[in-house]
This record gives sequence, C-alpha cells and structure tokens, in this order.
Amino acid sequence: MEGSYIPDSEPTTRTLLRRLLDTEDPHTPRGRQSTRASARRTPLETPFSMRLRSQTKTTTRRHSHGARSIGRLAHIQTSGRLKEQTPRTLLENILLTAPESSMVVPESALKPVPAPQVVQSPSGESSRGSLELQLPELKPPTTLAPGLLLALGKRKQRLRLSEFQQGVDQELPLSPGPLTEPHGNAGASSLTSSLNLALATPPVPQSVQRPGLARRPPTRRAVDVGAFLQDLQDTSVALALPGDSLRTPVATLPTDTVLEDTQPFSQPLIGRSPNVRHSLPCPSSSAERTVGRRTQSSGPRLQNNSPGRPDQLLVGKAEEVDALAVGFPNTSNSSSGEDGLQPLQDGVGEEAEDVMEESLSMSDEEEAAGAQGSARAEEPKTHKEGTEAEGSWGATEAKELEGPSRDKDTAGRTGSPELTSITLEFQQARQLEFLEPAQPTSTAVGLFRQQSIPAPSLPPEPLSARRPPRARTAGPRLRQDPYKTGLSHYAKLFSFYTKMPMEKAALEMVEKCLDKYFQHLCDDLEVFAAHAGRKTVRPEDLELLLRRQGLVTDQVSLHVLVERHLPLQYRQLLIPCAFSGNTVFPAQ
Amino acid sequence: MEEEEEGAEEQQRFSHQQRLKAAVHYTVGCLCSEAAADTQVQLSRQAVAAIAEVTFRQCENFAKDLEMFARHARRSTINTEDVKLLARRSNSLLKYITEKNEEIAQLNTERKTKKKKKLEAENKNSVEPAEAGGVESEN
Repeated sequence: MEGSYIPDSEPTTRTLLRRLLDTEDPHTPRGRQSTRASARRTPLETPFSMRLRSQTKTTTRRHSHGARSIGRLAHIQTSGRLKEQTPRTLLENILLTAPESSMVVPESALKPVPAPQVVQSPSGESSRGSLELQLPELKPPTTLAPGLLLALGKRKQRLRLSEFQQGVDQELPLSPGPLTEPHGNAGASSLTSSLNLALATPPVPQSVQRPGLARRPPTRRAVDVGAFLQDLQDTSVALALPGDSLRTPVATLPTDTVLEDTQPFSQPLIGRSPNVRHSLPCPSSSAERTVGRRTQSSGPRLQNNSPGRPDQLLVGKAEEVDALAVGFPNTSNSSSGEDGLQPLQDGVGEEAEDVMEESLSMSDEEEAAGAQGSARAEEPKTHKEGTEAEGSWGATEAKELEGPSRDKDTAGRTGSPELTSITLEFQQARQLEFLEPAQPTSTAVGLFRQQSIPAPSLPPEPLSARRPPRARTAGPRLRQDPYKTGLSHYAKLFSFYTKMPMEKAALEMVEKCLDKYFQHLCDDLEVFAAHAGRKTVRPEDLELLLRRQGLVTDQVSLHVLVERHLPLQYRQLLIPCAFSGNTVFPAQ
Repeated sequence: MEEEEEGAEEQQRFSHQQRLKAAVHYTVGCLCSEAAADTQVQLSRQAVAAIAEVTFRQCENFAKDLEMFARHARRSTINTEDVKLLARRSNSLLKYITEKNEEIAQLNTERKTKKKKKLEAENKNSVEPAEAGGVESEN
C-alpha cells in the first residue's frame, strides 16, 4: 500500500493512513500532524492533499472546510470501497494506535461509536455504503484519512471546546471516556453529544463556530469576600515583609469611593455625595469602601512596591496605613505586626499623618472635585469633627452594619469585620503610627491621634470577633465591584487605544498601575489640602494637582478644562451658571 | 531696541543657564566618581552627562513646584514645608529633610535662648547702653 500511488486523490489519504500506522504514533496530535505533514509532502500534490494540509494547518475551523471535507470524505469513501482496506478498518487501526491525549479524546470516544456502527452495518457493500453514508454524517474526524480525521478532529476538538464549555454550564453527563483529563472527558461528552447531533443532522456540529474567535463570555466571578478576607488574614498573618504575599487582594478591589475618584463623572455625584460624605459620621458604606479600597489597593500597591524600591514600599505602607485609618480600630494584629513594622514607623510617621488626612479629605475631595464648593465642603468638616469627637473612626464603619452610635470598641469589632482582615498588616502599621507619639503636626492629625489612641484597646479582639461578622458580606461585595468596574473601564479604554489585542495579564497590570496612580493622586490632593492648612480638598488643590500634571497651564485654566471635558450637568456644578429668577448655581 | 534688549537678556539668561548647567555637571561628575569608587562600577562620560542633564531638568521642575506650593499656601516665600511637600514621595529623603529641619530649628532656638540670656545678662549688668546696643546689633 505504501508504494501504490493512485493518480487520484485517494492514495494520499490511504497512504498517509498507512504511513501513520507504520510509523510510531506521536503523543500529540501535532506530532501526528507533523508526521502526517511530512508524509503528506511526499505524495502527489493533489488538491485533496493540499486541502488536507490546509485543513490541518489552519486552526480556524470553517464550515466551508467541513463541507468540503465532507464532500471529499464521501468521494474518498466511495473510491475507497474498491480497495481491500476500508476506511473503517483504517480508522480502527488509527484509533487503536492513537495516543491517549486530549486531542485523541474525540477519536477514542469515537471508538465506540463507529464500532457499533460498524457492527450494525452489514459487511456488505451496501452496508458499507450505508456506513460510509453515515460516516460522513458523523463528524468528519470519525471518517477517512487520518489527516482529515485529525484535522477535523482537531477542529472538532476546538468546536467541542465551546461545546464543552456549554456542556459544563449545562452539566451535561460526561461520557465514561477512558481519558483522565477532565478536558478530555468533557470533550468526550461533548463529542458524544455532538456525535449524536451529527447522527441526527450531519454538519450541524461543525457550526460556524470559530474557535479562534469563540471567546468565553467574560466570567464575572462574584467577589467572594469571605474567601478574600480569609486570604487576607492568612497573608497578613504570614506577612513578614509587606507586599510579597499580597497577591490575593489584587484581584478584588473594594469600595466605590475610588470609583468616584476614578470616574467622578460617571455617577450622579449629588446622589452619591451623601454617602461619601458620611465617611466619618454616617453609615460607613463609604468608610468601609474607603478602607476596603485602600487596603485592597494597598495590597496591589505593596505588591508592586516590594519588587521596587524600599522607599516606595514605605510610601505604599504609609498609604495603606492611611487606608487603615478607617479601620484602625481593628488594631488586633498590631501586636504581631509591630515587630515587622518597627522600621516603618519613623518614615511612615509623617506620611501616615498626611495619609490620614488624605483619607479623610479624599472622600471630600471626590465630592469637591465634581460637586459644589464650599457649602458641601463644610458638611464633611463638621461631620468629621463631630465624629472625631466621638472617636468613632471605626464607628463609621460599623455604623453601616449596626447603628450609628457605636462604641469605638464595638465599632472596631463589628464595624470592620470584613475590613479588619483586609487591613491587617496595614493596621499594624497604623497602630505603630498611633502608638508612636509622633507629634501631630496638624490639628487633623491630632484628632486622628485621639481616635487612634483608644484603638490599642482592641487588639485582643482580633479574629474571633472578626469571623462571625464576615458573614455580612453582601454589602461590601457590591461596593467592591464598582471600584473594580471603574478600573476595568479605564483598562478597556487603554486596550481600545492600543488598537491591538491585549493579554489579560497585561490588562491586570494596567489596572494595577492605574490604581496606584490614582492612589498617588488622591494622596497628593490630601497633602495639598493639608499644606494649605485645610482639612478639605478644594478646587484650588485640584488646580495645583492638574498644574503639576501639566494639564493646567498659564494658557489653559481649570475652567477651560471643565468646559472641555465635563458634561453639562457636571460643568454647571463647577462653573456658576445664572438661572432664571436671578439665581446663580452653584452659589458662590 | 527692546528686541535687542530682550535678545541680550535672553543671551544673558542662556549663558547664565549654561554656567549653572556646567556647575551641576561638575558636581555630578564628582559625585559619580565617588560612587564609582565605592561600588567599583565605572560610569562613562555620556552617563555622567545624562545624569547631569536629568538633574538639571529635575531641579527646574522642583523650582516650579516649590513656587506653586508656596503660592498654594498663600505665601510669597518658599518654606521648609514646601520642601517637605516636594520630598514626600521618597520616604528616606523626607525623613532626612525633616531631621535636618529639626536640627536647624533646634539651633535657632538655642541661638535665641543664647541671645536672650546675653541680653538679660547685659541688662542685669547694666553695662553701658552702647555695649548693649552693640551686642544687639551683633545679634
């Protein structure tokens, strides 16, 4: 058989099959294809062989190919009937020799299928004809030449991948394939299902699905806050150096206050402002958000810092410490963290203070940035002072969960159950800050210190109190998503402007960088406000920030930027517009 | 005429800038040779020149930022607070600057106390007012 070259297209498949049977079977379909390819090169260049090659080479399965192959299959089938070696026997040989790889799954799974068919059909030509008729109906891989088979099988494989996914989703029963790989099993199951489909309607399985283009729908994994918190706990407990172990927080970025920061215009600020403003006083959705976000972002921050410079690490720590400002009542891990964080104290001291102020004013800034001016700015101030008097940083967090007037301890305990674990190492740093009697340079800082001083009383509370409240994660989950949504929005913009497809890892890196960047911006804003002796971020601070960025120049003022980029509803919040009745909004 | 003056001014500024750049380059070269001696790593001339250029531009940025910070705080003088704000990114640098600032503050207070003591001593001794005046003028 080897030497027989039939001028027609038939010999190629048969000879190929033969060669395949004779040569050792590689363990991968690719290897098989390569051998096939090498074997194929020798035979005559027939359109069929060329098509074979093209089929095997092209990864995109096209319906046309399938159709063509099917036609070819039929043709070959009819011609093959003349010879002793029927495609059936050849196929069986192939199947017998086929390696147990995922690619082979369909073929092995096909084994039982063609076998019964073979059994069913009488050995007569008529039966053969019927079988052959059936075979083309079957998925092409089950028929004909190994090249075709494997190529189509591979195509089938790809197709079945999507089917597999669907099957998994629908929980299709898995066929008892001999394969160990789950993929293989799934492939087999899908294969069988597709085979059934094929038997019913011939080329249906070879749908227009293009594996290359078939994309898995973006599985939005709901943020499992409990698991995340557990991870945080574990990582923080095991945290020798911050930053290395903080892999888990990167995935989930909580709180939507940052969302507001990143997308100040995407949500109605008026509606949101009350929530955000209440970072101190009111139910701490925002506070929790802030903390969560901070801690989460500090996670990636740390992570990014660690490979970088120790300075940045300290800075990052300071920023996280700031995040902890909200969650500082949960100083439970302070004792454990102290040792590790000793060296950070001094360097982080001032940073922490600034960061604290930043955290305070950040929410304000977000509002101030997009919202009205002083009137609103005053509110959080008073709120701040009010709550600070209570010493209820943690209370703010707790408020959301439990009522507003919480004790610091209780607040710390319950208020930030989710946050505590999140902010573990940062809390440690935070506690260090608080414990260290660094002279408060500003009143705000002093206020913070007042609040922080009682915090150490909470340390003994650590895990036990934290665990039970963690069940209440329905809230934070929603809050975490918007933050991540904001970042992913910008990441998508990024990928759009690159005009090239981007890897997921690259997109994640972009998100991380954006997160760090926005963190820096917010910290800067807070620092600027503090520099001017204020506790609230005002448009002047933003102007300074944008000036540093180079967006606001002597030629381009902030108003110009606002007019250029903001939609009208936000613009009229910033730039006073005269309305009917001689009212000017926003009131100056 | 004005254009000529402006041109001359420009040239002056330019030459001034060049001189500053040269000074920076020299200082950077000295520091680089020190670093090379410490770490046994050689620095090429281009590298030193690049560092000097970068330092110069960064100094320009610093100056602009400092001015902005001072103006933001509604001051007309650049303060140590502005400098600290500038150095906030680098923790070690910030710490260093803060320590130096405290040292200087301490020195200042010491000097003030000394001055006060001297003045008091002078007044107590009731030396001739001319002497006191002289001491005060010295201070």
